[in-house]
Amino acid sequence: METATNDPPQTSLAPVQASGTPAGTRPIIPEPFWRVPITWFRALTIERRVLASFSLVFVGILVISVVSYRNTRILIVNSRLDSRSHELVQLLANIDVAMNEAEDSHRRYLVTGETSYLETYQKLVEQKPTFIKYLDDLTKGSRDQQQRVIQLDQTMDLQLRAEAAAITELNERGHEAVMQLAIEGAAKQERGTTHRIIAELELYERQALRKRVMESAAGTTNTIVLLAVGALLQLVLLASVYYLIRHDIMERRRVAAELQRRGELLEAANKELEAFSYSVSHDLRAPLRHIDGYASLLRRAVGGSLDEKPARYLQTISESAKRMGQLIDDLLVFSRMGRQEMLNTTVNLDKLIKSIIYDLRLDLQGRKISWTIDILPEVPGDPVMLRQVFMNLIANAVKFTNTRPIAKIEIGVDRRTAREIVIFVRDNGVGFDMQYAAKLFGVFQRLHRADEFEGTGIGLANVRRIVHRHGGRTWAEGIPDKGATFYVAFPTRRSR
Amino acid sequence: MRTAAKPILLAEDNPRDAELALAAMEEQHIADKVVLCHDGAEVLDYLYCRGQFKSRLKGNPAVVFLDLKMPKINGLEVLRTIKTDARLRPIPVVMLTSSREERDLAESYSLGANAYVVKPVEFHLFLSAVKELGTFWGLINEPPPEGACCGS
Repeated sequence: METATNDPPQTSLAPVQASGTPAGTRPIIPEPFWRVPITWFRALTIERRVLASFSLVFVGILVISVVSYRNTRILIVNSRLDSRSHELVQLLANIDVAMNEAEDSHRRYLVTGETSYLETYQKLVEQKPTFIKYLDDLTKGSRDQQQRVIQLDQTMDLQLRAEAAAITELNERGHEAVMQLAIEGAAKQERGTTHRIIAELELYERQALRKRVMESAAGTTNTIVLLAVGALLQLVLLASVYYLIRHDIMERRRVAAELQRRGELLEAANKELEAFSYSVSHDLRAPLRHIDGYASLLRRAVGGSLDEKPARYLQTISESAKRMGQLIDDLLVFSRMGRQEMLNTTVNLDKLIKSIIYDLRLDLQGRKISWTIDILPEVPGDPVMLRQVFMNLIANAVKFTNTRPIAKIEIGVDRRTAREIVIFVRDNGVGFDMQYAAKLFGVFQRLHRADEFEGTGIGLANVRRIVHRHGGRTWAEGIPDKGATFYVAFPTRRSR
Repeated sequence: MRTAAKPILLAEDNPRDAELALAAMEEQHIADKVVLCHDGAEVLDYLYCRGQFKSRLKGNPAVVFLDLKMPKINGLEVLRTIKTDARLRPIPVVMLTSSREERDLAESYSLGANAYVVKPVEFHLFLSAVKELGTFWGLINEPPPEGACCGS
């Protein structure tokens, strides 16, 4: 049931999109490409469908997780960058102010010669490396900004150096020498340059900040949309998986119920059959007994006064009744062989065959039989049933060779494979025409007339039934008037 | 002989079987000792001296030949009744039946049957079987000593 639906999906998977039509004898309308996965899905077994659906859900969750993680990471990085940018802007303003103040107080010093005015300037000289270092840190990762920081560093140096030169001039040559500088500012030009660079730095940083804010907002929107759509898709998928599983469970439950119902019917039928065979065994025998009984009583009653013909008639009546009795007994054995519980042991065929031949010794009196019996293996099976099999086969071989001056009966192993072991029983008896080989193992099938060989024709039917119940096979080969070989194959391992 | 007076109880619902059995016993000259019952109920009536056997001579039969399939009360039920009644238990019971079914055999013996004989289809075999049974149980076998059997 499962395996039948397992194979086909491969055929509908690949070629449809590539060639437009799947390879087939009759022309079919090419499947629209969007139907391909549906067709593929429908051809899958329930296990594969569930697996496919869960894989899709898994992939979905993975995609959502990866994208969300990436977006969130960007957000985190951006916010860190943002705070750095704010810091940078703040620092730039501070530097600008500090530079202005330094220039201012420097000018005052040049005018007044009051050294207390130099404090701010000195402070800036001290702080400058720290400022630059800090700036360098805050602009790490942006080459443009770092370039500007280097420029700023240089121009600040120029400004400070110009201012330092003015101080030296004042100390050496007095107020008059630096008056012009004091009015114009010792490093007016440099101051302008640093101010411009600082403005540039700030502008650039603010632009970057704005860009990042927009980027973060877009990322957040993306994430939200993705989460919403993804969650919806997962829900739909999970719902369909639930539906699939539920559908399958219901189906299985239905099948189980159906099986149970059939099992019950079968059991009832079996019980009926048992009752039937019981009543056959009991009730059908009685009239037969009466026929034979009253025929015998009649024969006794008329005594010796009976003519030859009426005597023969009476004899025939008796014999027919006996034969009917034999048929009923055989049929009952046959039906019992189909129902009887089987023992699950191993049977030593060597011993079995020896004991069968020993049991047949009375029937073999006056017969010349040359036996050739191989060393036989042990086979798994029911000892009583297997005894019946070989009893029937050997009795047949003995029976159908009774026209031979010397009967030859051979029993051996035909072949042994990993799966089965084949035993044969060969005789040089009357054989049979292969065209009737199929009939041999049927119930009440006989290939010989009743006056040639006795028997009810149930023996080989029993053989086949028992061997089948052991999971094996039976067949026969024969040549008329040359002999017959019967084969029974037993599985080496019990397949039940 | 004291035992010669003891009757043989034959439970057989089929008149033809009964006639054939009686014909066999006649040859052994024991037919006159046979009491024929046509169903299980009659067997129990006989054993308990009731119904049509109310005024019979007291005493258990030498043996009961019991068919399995009988109207009213079947052989196995009769057997169970006999073997669970302390006063009847000593009576030898021989199942005489057409059935060779394993479960009939098993159940009969587990209920305490003394013998189980399958009626052969061939008359001469049937004849010799009934003769031997009659001879053995009716003449050779020493029946149990008389117990207080009938309720009367």
